Amino acid sequence: MSTATLHSATHIHGHEEASGWKKYLWSLDHKVIGLQYLFTSLAFLFIGGGMALLLRWQLAYPSTQVMANGDVGNPISLPFINPQFYNALFTMHATVMVFLVVMPLLIGAFGNYLIPLKIGAGDMAFPLINELSYWVYVLSGVVMLAGFFVAGGAAAGGWTSYAPLSSVAAYNGTKLGQTLWAAGIFINGLASIMGAFNYITTIVNMRAPGMGFFRLPLTVWALFITAFLLLLAVPVLSAAGAMLILDLNFGTSFFNPAKGGQPLLWQHLFWFFGHPEVYILILPAMGMASDVLSIFSRKPVFGYKAMVFAMFAIGFLGFIVWGHHMFVSGMNLVLSAAFGVSTMVIAVPSAIKTFNWLGTIWGGSIRFTTAMLNALAFVAMFVIGGFSGIFMASTPVNIFVHHTYFIVAHFHYVLFGGSIFAIFASIYTWYPKMFGRMLDETLGKIHFVLTFVFFNLCFFPMHNVGLGGMMRRIADPTAYEHLRALQPINQFITLAAIALGFSQFVFLWNFFRSLKHGAPAGNNPWGATTLEWTVASPPVHGNFAVTPTVYRGAYDYSVPGHPRDFIMQNEPPTSEPLHSGAPARRSVPTG
Amino acid sequence: MRFIFNRVQLLALTLLGLAISGAQAEIRQTSVWWLPRNVTMFGHEIDFIFYVILILTGVTAVAVFSTMIYFIVKYRARPGVSAIHSHGNNTLEVIWTGIPVFIFLALAIYGNEQWTQMRLKTPPADALPVAVIGEQFGWNVRYPGADGKLAKMTASKVTKENPFGVDPADPAGLDDFTTYGELVFPVERPIRLYLGSKDVIHAFYVPEFRLYQDMVPGRIYDFVWLKAEQTGKFQLACNQLCGQGHYKMFGKLSVVPQGEYEAWAKGKAPQPTAAKETPTVPVVMAGR
Repeated sequence: MSTATLHSATHIHGHEEASGWKKYLWSLDHKVIGLQYLFTSLAFLFIGGGMALLLRWQLAYPSTQVMANGDVGNPISLPFINPQFYNALFTMHATVMVFLVVMPLLIGAFGNYLIPLKIGAGDMAFPLINELSYWVYVLSGVVMLAGFFVAGGAAAGGWTSYAPLSSVAAYNGTKLGQTLWAAGIFINGLASIMGAFNYITTIVNMRAPGMGFFRLPLTVWALFITAFLLLLAVPVLSAAGAMLILDLNFGTSFFNPAKGGQPLLWQHLFWFFGHPEVYILILPAMGMASDVLSIFSRKPVFGYKAMVFAMFAIGFLGFIVWGHHMFVSGMNLVLSAAFGVSTMVIAVPSAIKTFNWLGTIWGGSIRFTTAMLNALAFVAMFVIGGFSGIFMASTPVNIFVHHTYFIVAHFHYVLFGGSIFAIFASIYTWYPKMFGRMLDETLGKIHFVLTFVFFNLCFFPMHNVGLGGMMRRIADPTAYEHLRALQPINQFITLAAIALGFSQFVFLWNFFRSLKHGAPAGNNPWGATTLEWTVASPPVHGNFAVTPTVYRGAYDYSVPGHPRDFIMQNEPPTSEPLHSGAPARRSVPTG
Repeated sequence: MRFIFNRVQLLALTLLGLAISGAQAEIRQTSVWWLPRNVTMFGHEIDFIFYVILILTGVTAVAVFSTMIYFIVKYRARPGVSAIHSHGNNTLEVIWTGIPVFIFLALAIYGNEQWTQMRLKTPPADALPVAVIGEQFGWNVRYPGADGKLAKMTASKVTKENPFGVDPADPAGLDDFTTYGELVFPVERPIRLYLGSKDVIHAFYVPEFRLYQDMVPGRIYDFVWLKAEQTGKFQLACNQLCGQGHYKMFGKLSVVPQGEYEAWAKGKAPQPTAAKETPTVPVVMAGR
């Protein structure tokens, strides 16, 4: 690939397309890398989901339960889920979902696939680093999951790995597993950092002529801001991970008070990363959901600039709220009060975004595609997740609900109800672009309804058991007298979780079946305005035959007086309206 | 268009939504999994703020979701009706930025006021001091004797053998008595907790007390105090993941009338001859 290539007209960046199977291993094409991320993280989604079902089974039918008659065990419990394995399961479930599923799906898959196409570039600024970032991500996943196969088992200190439980082998009994966890986090951080500066460079430097910052689709804005968050937050976690490895294996004592360390140092480092991370996991979802809502309402995004500024506000405020995870850790009590205020303030930009989403569907001509249904579900579930966040942002209420199932409900409403529904919306929207074929709408709607119903049946009652006093991260709620009354609802949640899990096979079936049997998509099946819809589905290597010129913002839907209800971004203002065919191949001289 | 929901499907979805909320209402009525009873003074404030937020978010949720459903139905694609071309409205932006700012700041200010009362004010002078030091997987509890004073505890002196980090010669500590995993509080009397840990982070959590506090090794927190207003038996739970046995790290906690407490304390008091604390070697802390 390093040879001076004599590639054809699509030769607008410095590498040629790999052929055959090599394409799917070593391609430098951002689209192939995006798909690599997509398939790998979907595989991890099923692994992480499987862990969740084991967790739920243990909570409903604990293997450690002592029956009323003194018998040990529950007839349908899974005896291999002992307390240590249970702790490892929830630790790895969260680690996999955060670092190997939601981040790579949003940022790795959609970030890679959509950024160059949406800004009119042929590829990312650094294609080799892009591919390297994917393989480093795969390596991080292998290292993390390897924990299950070493002596002592996988890390079992929670995904937050609070020290000194995590940093002293005598306390956790999983020295190797915990070290692998920290190493996996460190390696994963490298992949994130490589991706982040690649995205920033690409968006700053490689926008097509005419693509001013305020003509960027919100998806690109969201990924741009997210990339800055990654660049500033992830290195802190990597540093913390390295310190944890040193404490565990090389006799240092950053976090162990018995030798002069500070347990709260770990929490500050972790949450300094951890809170921006929360927004890293939702901002791209917000951006993509905004675009999906706009496409299927046939309306411009309501308050485009307000949306962009709200994301700026979230990005900035996201760095000064980390202490709200530590209200009850015993850190400086005045500091808690300050974090309480900043945390309440960060709810404002989220509220602004919600109102603008409602504004977007107002007055629309709404098409209820599967993608749109998922985007609407995203808004609704994000609202619920946001509301439950307000309870915990209130310092006094936090004293009561901290570390109960109330917060488990909260972050699943944001991460699954928010991010995953937005991811489904995005997959249904951009699958035709990625594979040239449509997903089946009937199967899609079945999948949506099942997921939406069972998601709520599974996670809403968790608010209730949390208020009822059920702690998170306990292997057996029946060990507590005051929780035994909650056991029927725990069993109910488990059944809903199983149904939710198995509903995803409808999606899987649709996904793989449509690769071959889906209806051909054409260039622009949704009548959308942005540049990726001007080229073939899937786009060729190099994306654009001629670099497009952009004449307008990303949301010219239903413009009065125009014969079509959308105007492509590269359509010149004075041109005669196009009635048919693809505007894609219009070659605009770029000088 | 082929991907529009027909009326029957929309109706089915609506009914499903109603069924789910109905099921929730049913669950609440049995009140098994709602807030447990509250027995402490500060719990009233916490519950009050909880219900204020519940009402605020509940009303907003109803408004947002009904608007959403109204828009979804009203603005569904219909032949011959095209969408309104609108890029937004700055007046609306100002309104829906201003109102949340006002509400959230009010919540933050009121919450901070209560937080100050609960955590930053000095506990009453007549409060009964009780030390609780967590360990994998149990609770070391220390009560003052007749003098009403606990021995002075130093976090850096906490060791396996000396869980409370006390100086064995401290005269205030000679009549202290200890229990393991058993707490008894006199009702209507302020209790000042001294919370710490021997090994990893544990947490002191009693839902009926509306109380959660981490117990961090290397520190002894003295800012948590409470007053129980009702008697009863409760379960103290560790609510910070602390290892394999975390899930069954619970203790007994009862709130009893003052007289009953005194009788219990008398029974636990050390015999005058037996020195309970084993002498310890002072630990030199690196880097301090």
